[in-house]
This record gives sequence, C-alpha cells and structure tokens, in this order.
Amino acid sequence: MSPHALDEVASSSVEVPGVLSGYTSVKVFSDRAKVEDGFLVSDYAYENAVVKRVPGGKYEVTPTSVDYQFKLDLKVPKTGLMMVGLGGNNGSTLTATILANRYGINFRTKQGLQEPNYYGSVTQASTLKLGVDEDGNDVYAPFNQVLPMLHPNDIVIGGWDINSANLADAMARSKVLDYDLQRQVAKYMAQIRPLPSIYYPDFIAANQSERADNLIDGDSKWDHVQRIRQDIQEFKAKNELEKVIVVWTANTERYADILTGVNDTADNLINSIKASHDEVAPSTIFAVACILDGVPFINGSPQNTFVPGCIELAEKHKSFIGGDDFKSGQTKLKSVLAQFLVDAGIRPLSIASYNHLGNNDGYNLSAPKQFRSKEISKKSVVDDMIASNHILYNQEKGNTIDHCIVIKYLPAVGDSKVAMDEYYSELMMGGHNTISIHNVCEDSLLASPLIIDLTVIAEFFSRVTYKKTGSEDDFEKFYPVLSVLSYWLKAPLARPGCEPINGLNKQRAALENLLRAFVGLGPQNELKLEERLW
Amino acid sequence: MSPHLLQEQASASSEVSGVLSGYTSVHVFSNRAKVEDGYLTSVYSYENATVKRLAGGKYEVTPTTVDYQFKLDLNVPKTGLMLVGLGGNNGSTLAATIFANRLGIQFRTKDGPQNANYYGSVTQSSTLKLGVDENGNDVYAPFNEILPMLHPNDIIIGGWDINSSNLADAMTRSKVLDFDLQRQVAKYMANINPLPSIYYPDFIAANQSDRADNLIEGDSKWDHVERIRQDIQKFKTTNELDKIIVIWTANTERYSHIIPGVNDTSENLVKSIKSSHSEIAPSTIFAVACILDGVPFINGSPQNTFVPGCIELAEKKNSFIGGDDFKSGQTKIKSVLAQFLVDAGIRPVSIASYNHLGNNDGFNLSAPQQFRSKEISKKSVVDDMISSNHILYNDQKGKTIDHCIVIKYLPAVGDAKVAMDEYYSELMLGGHNTISIHNVCEDSLLATPLIIDLAIIAEFFSRVTYKKQDSGDEFAQFYPVLSVLSYWLKAPLTRPGFEPVNGLNKQRTALENLLRALVGLGPQNELRLEERLW
Repeated sequence: MSPHALDEVASSSVEVPGVLSGYTSVKVFSDRAKVEDGFLVSDYAYENAVVKRVPGGKYEVTPTSVDYQFKLDLKVPKTGLMMVGLGGNNGSTLTATILANRYGINFRTKQGLQEPNYYGSVTQASTLKLGVDEDGNDVYAPFNQVLPMLHPNDIVIGGWDINSANLADAMARSKVLDYDLQRQVAKYMAQIRPLPSIYYPDFIAANQSERADNLIDGDSKWDHVQRIRQDIQEFKAKNELEKVIVVWTANTERYADILTGVNDTADNLINSIKASHDEVAPSTIFAVACILDGVPFINGSPQNTFVPGCIELAEKHKSFIGGDDFKSGQTKLKSVLAQFLVDAGIRPLSIASYNHLGNNDGYNLSAPKQFRSKEISKKSVVDDMIASNHILYNQEKGNTIDHCIVIKYLPAVGDSKVAMDEYYSELMMGGHNTISIHNVCEDSLLASPLIIDLTVIAEFFSRVTYKKTGSEDDFEKFYPVLSVLSYWLKAPLARPGCEPINGLNKQRAALENLLRAFVGLGPQNELKLEERLW
Repeated sequence: MSPHLLQEQASASSEVSGVLSGYTSVHVFSNRAKVEDGYLTSVYSYENATVKRLAGGKYEVTPTTVDYQFKLDLNVPKTGLMLVGLGGNNGSTLAATIFANRLGIQFRTKDGPQNANYYGSVTQSSTLKLGVDENGNDVYAPFNEILPMLHPNDIIIGGWDINSSNLADAMTRSKVLDFDLQRQVAKYMANINPLPSIYYPDFIAANQSDRADNLIEGDSKWDHVERIRQDIQKFKTTNELDKIIVIWTANTERYSHIIPGVNDTSENLVKSIKSSHSEIAPSTIFAVACILDGVPFINGSPQNTFVPGCIELAEKKNSFIGGDDFKSGQTKIKSVLAQFLVDAGIRPVSIASYNHLGNNDGFNLSAPQQFRSKEISKKSVVDDMISSNHILYNDQKGKTIDHCIVIKYLPAVGDAKVAMDEYYSELMLGGHNTISIHNVCEDSLLATPLIIDLAIIAEFFSRVTYKKQDSGDEFAQFYPVLSVLSYWLKAPLTRPGFEPVNGLNKQRTALENLLRALVGLGPQNELRLEERLW
C-alpha cells in the first residue's frame, strides 16, 4: 500500500489556494542582517556569563561574548509530515483541520457558523513583539510572519498506524470534531489510509491488541527499519517533496531498559536491532530509520525512545531529534504556575495532579507500565524550578515538592480530558495558599496545534546554520537535539550533560530571541526606557 | 503624639543583629561597570526598534540603540517606611513580621516550630539567573545580593491610622498571625500607636465610621498636607533616618472626579487643596505632602489618588510615585494565566472572577463606590494582552473578553480570602477549554511581602541616576512614575501617554534586566547556545 497524500485530494478541488508558506510581513532595516543569494546572514553577539561559586555563598561572574554568524535558507521547501499513529485522535484531527483550513470549509455548530482556524498554535495564532510605535507603545507581528516558515495549509500529510481504519472512520471514532465539519471533510479523509506500522505487543498495553490489524510483516527489526526508510522515500518521491518530518503521536510505550552492550552506544543499538533484540521499542525503530536518512524525528509520547545509543546515532548522522511528550494541558499550565510561584518567592510544598480521560490514549495508559512512562514525564517538570531557588529549597528546608500523578480511564468523557490539580504552598510566617484547578481540555484540539508548531519549527531550524564569526569553518547545523522545541514538550530532551529547561516562559523567550537574532535584533529586554527615563 | 519606632524596642533585645542592608554576594568582572567613590557606574547600550505599520499588514522595523550611563549610589541609607493604615491587617502583619525576623523569633504551630521568614517577597525569597557554571547549567543568586539593597530587618516602621488601636491590639483584631507568634511579639507591638490620620467620610464606606477615632483635627485640607509633612519630618529626625518611603495600605476610596480647574493641573490641585475642595481625597493629600518633600509615595489601593494634577506635581518636583493597588492573589495569577493563554494562541472569551473575604478591606468594599474602584483596577489587567494579539482579537472576531468581578463580604472567612475564577477559552475549530481556579489565599500574608518589595525597590531606584553616554548633561533621576514597580501592582500607573504592561513575566523581565544592566550584564536571553550549538 502506498502512502496517501492529501495533495492528491487537493488537486481535485477547485478551491485550492496558492502556497502560503514563506510569507513574511516584517522588514527589518538592520545592519546586522543581510540577504545574499537566497540566504539571510546575520551577526549576533551571544552574551552570557560564567559563574564560579566561591565559599561563603559568593559568586564570581565573568561575562562572556561570542560572535556568531547565522545563515537561514529563505526558501521554504515543499514539506511532508508523516505521523506515527496517523489514525489516532491527533492524527485524524490534524488532518481534518488542515483540510478545513486549506479549502476554507465553514461549518455549523449550535453557536452558528464556525470558520476554520489554527487557534492554540504558537506559530499560527500568536504574536511577537517587534518594538515600539511612534508613541512608544509596543507593536506585535504574527509569529510566522517574521521569517519565512512552512504554513500548515501546505503540509502534505501521511503516516503509519497499527489500525487500518481510513481517516474518515478514524475521525468518526475519535469523536473530537463537530459533526458538520466531519460531514464536509469525510470525503477527502476517506481516501487516506495509514501505512502498516510496527507492533511489538510487549511495549504497549495489552488492550491495544484489538486495534492491531495493519502491521508490517516479519519479525526482523532491521527489516522494519529498512521498510520505514523505504516508506519515507516513497512518500517523498510520490508527492515530490523536498523534506519530510516524522512525529510520533502513537501510543505511549513502556520504558526501555538501558542495557550495557544493547542500546548504550550507536553501534550497539544498530547491532541489537540487527539481532532483533527484545528491548528495542517500535518508537526507537522509527527514530533510527529517520536518523539514518537525516529526517527530523520528534517523539510526542513520554517513553524513552531516545536511548543513549539513539542520541549518539543522531550526533553521528547530524540528524535532528526532539522530544519527549506533547505538553498540551495540565503540564503546560504547571510549567507556568510552578515557575510563577517560585519566582514570586512562594514555596510550593505539594502538587497533587489527578486526570481522567476517555480516549484511546487513556485506555493505553490504564496499563501500569505505560502509566509509569507518563508519570516520569509529568513529574520532572518542576525539577528545574526547585533547583533555581536555594532560598526556598535547600538541605535544611528540603529539596523536593511532594508530587503525585493519577490518570484514570473513564470512557464516558471521551476526548474531554479533565485535569484537577492542587498546589499547596507555604507563604510568609508559616501561612499557606491552596490553588485548586479544574481544567476541562479537549485533548486533541490542544495537542494537534502543537504538532503543527513542532513541524513548522523543526523544519525552520533545519534551514539554519551557524559559524563563529571570523572562523574558517563551514556553516554547520545546530546540535541534533533540538531543545528549542521544548516549549511544546513535557520532558524536554536535552543534550547529554545539560539540565532541561521546563519553565514555559523561558522556553518561549529562547524561541523569540533566536528569531530576533536571525533578523538582526537583540534579545527582548522589556526595559521600556522610553517611558522610564525622561 | 510622636511616631513609635520598632527600633527602640529592638535595641532592648539581646538578639539584635547588625545592619543587613547592602550585603552583596555577587561580584561581576565586567568592563562595562566600575566602582568609583561609592558609586557603581555602568554603560549600557539600550536596544529597541521603531516599528512603522504599513498598508496590507506589513511592518517596517528600524533598530535603535541608545548608549546610557547608569550611576548607582552604593550606600544604602537608613530608611523608614511610613504606612497609611498602619493598624490594618497589612500594617500590623508587616510590623510583627519584621520584629520576628529581626529578633529571630521562633514560634510554635501545630506543625512544629516555625522560623520567621520573608516568603512571598521577590527581593528576599527569589533568585536571579547570573549565567552558567562550568558544566553549562544555570546559576542563580538571591535577588537582593546582586546589588546593595535595603534589608527589611533594618526598616524603621511608622505611620498613620484613623483608628487609635496600638499595634498589638490591631494584630489581634486582624487574626492573621499564629497565636504563639502574637504572644511573643505583643510586648513590642503594644508600644506602637499609629499617628492620627485624615478622614473624609465621603471617600470610604460609611461602615468605617466606627473605626475613625484617631483623626487629625480641623477641616483645612492644606493644614492636613502641612501636618503630614511635619509628621514625616519628625519621624525622620527622631529616628535619625536618611530616607522615608510612604505607602498607602489604607481603605479603598471611591474614585475622584477629574474636574477641569480642580485637579487637572498641579497648580489647580494645590489651589483646590488650599480651598479645601470636596473632591480631594485623603490619599491625594498624603501623595501631595510626600511629593512636596521628595518622599517616594506608593498607592496600594485601587482609587485614582494620582489625578492628573498630582502626576504633574510629581513631574515638577521630580519626586517618585507608584501605584495602583497591590497585586497579590487573584489578579496576579490572572496576569500570568491570561498572558500564557494568549501567547499560546488560545483565545480567552470570558473570565468570571468571584471573591469573598471577611477582613476590613472586604467590609469597606461592600459599599458600591469603593467596590467600583476595585472593579476598574481588577478589570484592566487583560487589556494589554488583548491588544498584543490581533490574530485572536480584531474587529471581525471581537476585541474584548467578557469579564466580571464580584467581591462579597463574608466575615466568617476573615483574612482567608477565596478567589474563584473561570477562564473560558476558544480552542482550534470552535473547541473550548474551561479552567476553573479555586484559590484560598491568606490575604495579608500575600500582600505584606509586596509592601516590603515595593519599599525596597522604590528605595533602590531612588539611588539610581542616568545620562546619555556622550552628553554633557548631569546624571538625572528616573522619570517620577516608577513603572518598574508594576510587578506588584494591579493597575500599574504609567507615564501619561503610555499603555501599562500587566503581564507578570514581562514586568519581572524588566526588573531583572535593569539590575543586570547596572552590573554590566546584557539582558537575560535564555538562548543556551552552549547546549544548542556544537
């Protein structure tokens, strides 16, 4: 079976608009950035400081400055997005959303006429501050109009699923989108069937076995790697794509054991795959297939797809990887609120997080090992906040926050996931503050825009190269672990040896300031000296 | 009656520690900052950009750079804090907290021994990122150890109240602090009686008349101004203080009408006070008294103390003012959450905010005109977020968020204010997200640390001067409206003609980056290129 591309569908429609990717509305007159031969080349002085901790709680700070040149390929390639788990709630919702937006399909709900949109996507529905107008007030431009980016309407969708349902049936099964929208996109969706996928029953919940009717044949894990590589190449060729991004939005797997000689180095991992070792998970098979061909791979589930050997392989092949676990609802809020409290000098003592959901993600997570993967991912989110404040968290007062995560499967609520959190914090003089949050999300409507953002930003950063100013080196790509994607990920994969940043505002600041650097603007400083000085 | 000083009592204790103000643990080896004759002088290139909006939704961005020199007086003066409303919950809690910290008082609760602390204060209990250690991981130092700041233990407290209770009785009445702490500090607190204050019954709720037994005599408003000036001078002399800060933490007043010829210019305002015009509020009397003597004045309640004539007077006298309304609980979270949602591309469509509280603030706010002041202050907090995102908020889709504020007086809950908020937001394709928050605050334990921060930061910025690098000008003070205080204020007072910034993270970023500029470090960029590049 060959991959089905939406473009085939699109070409039969009379309403197909032109390419939207690459549109920019912002022109920066900076002497630090110039366009040459289709590339934007910018100079950026990266300032930081090296801090030495001196006895007695003292700090010695030595500012550092490194001059970099960044080079951005301004041409947005024709790009395909292949999802693992295409027939799941996220895959079918994302596909329908792109169709609705591309064809301008309006639909009716009891509230009236609804136009398609990409709300909840940072790249499509948020803004960046550029500077001030003549009155000194801030001016914001759409995030995706500062530099040329892929537009979701232009993304060609394909992918794999262990279930054979076509996307119209998958959409109906997922119960996410309004009926009148489903009605109008069903004819396009019905033509798309997921490619057969990889199923190693030991890695996902036993309750998923009923869905597994669309599997790649054979038991050789290396053959599976080769088959995935072939699928990607075929999809690319058939749709005349220049680039493919692969995103794992399939079931949460159990954690893989890290075994010496098995998955600890790139070579051992390849050998283990060739020997069809038990401890190599399907998601790692997909990751390895992508890495071998330089295809960016992002893991949207919590399991440790990126075993040490997999990260080393990505380093060797200089192929982009990013993960783990879409940060859509409860954890996203937590990475805002916990940071807010700690930065306000308030000491969170306990965070109790309860969830119930009724979609297939919840069904799979009702098995203990898969839940454990999720629990690890969700718990780590406050680690960097604790480490950032030794006034509140230290040996004497304690270095932890009591933190529990409960996830229950309640089929009745479907995709409307409910997250209930209690933040119990210590105030001045032994006082307390209790913040209880009851958050009703539409799980897939929150997660699908993140998949768009991850795709758009991963594609974007694969066009950026850099070198130190004045060096003879060639421009090279960023380090393979794309930690700039961490805004959208619960347990951000960091370069080995580096601590992940979980605070949402820091993650967004990093993104903004990188984009600003590319157009020749300094970091967002929020100083407003025009107002504050005479 | 003369002001009563904490210092007198403190000196009777054997546990009095030395002066803590001015301690720093951070040494920055920057060639942009140097110490000369007790001043830290730094050079800073302020980068921003001027943005021109063109037809067709285009933007032209011209980067701007202005080189400034900043000069900080490193000597922290002996400082007094005079509170209007000293006998209220905030005033008595603050005085007791400072005693407990200064004298190292430990008290017992059912949970065991509790040490005094300043949790909830940004300056005392939060940290700032300095840079990275040798492993590339972030290093944070205490906020108040980067540059010499006033320490709360060294603050001399005084002030006014329309009620004559001594602070021990006021503390008992407020029902905020644990019994065992009250027991230990009562002997110090009992010696402090608030100075008589100004009571114009028309401005606060009629239900406050029972408390009004400690009033400055006479009906001449100009005499009242002179009396307040005298009180401040006496307090300063008696306690041998170098500097005084005055903060309004008294009752919320009704809004004053802005009347041409009455309070629209500084001259008219002074004239109107001299003729005892009925539209001049007590808080404006205090503000004018402070401005005339160059004493920084901060308004912690929501009313429009700073009528246009009052701001003009501050400009003329170059005297610092800041306001309005302490941002402690519900609004503080709102200024985090609403920003988070809009920046994530999610569209809040309604925010319903319900509160009940049982302290005297709630009693006063049960009157319609005083509630109205509070409502205006609380509602404005999302304005700048709406105007920052024209993808979500525009003429076609609507430019408002339905927003209601309800405050009810329930004596039973006392100081344990309950805030219940519902954020209802539009997701992709007409989906919705409902975040319900139930927040049990201890009102005065949240507000008191803010008073500390406001006093410390206002004192700090009164030691900072600046000039343009190559100009022959003298170093000048910052513009009188201290908008750097906005982190702690619900409805930040801004320079006339400028829009306030409400987003909590932007407010904190501004503070951080100003401190960094003074020690010769560039703005916090969060880029972590050490991790992200090879």
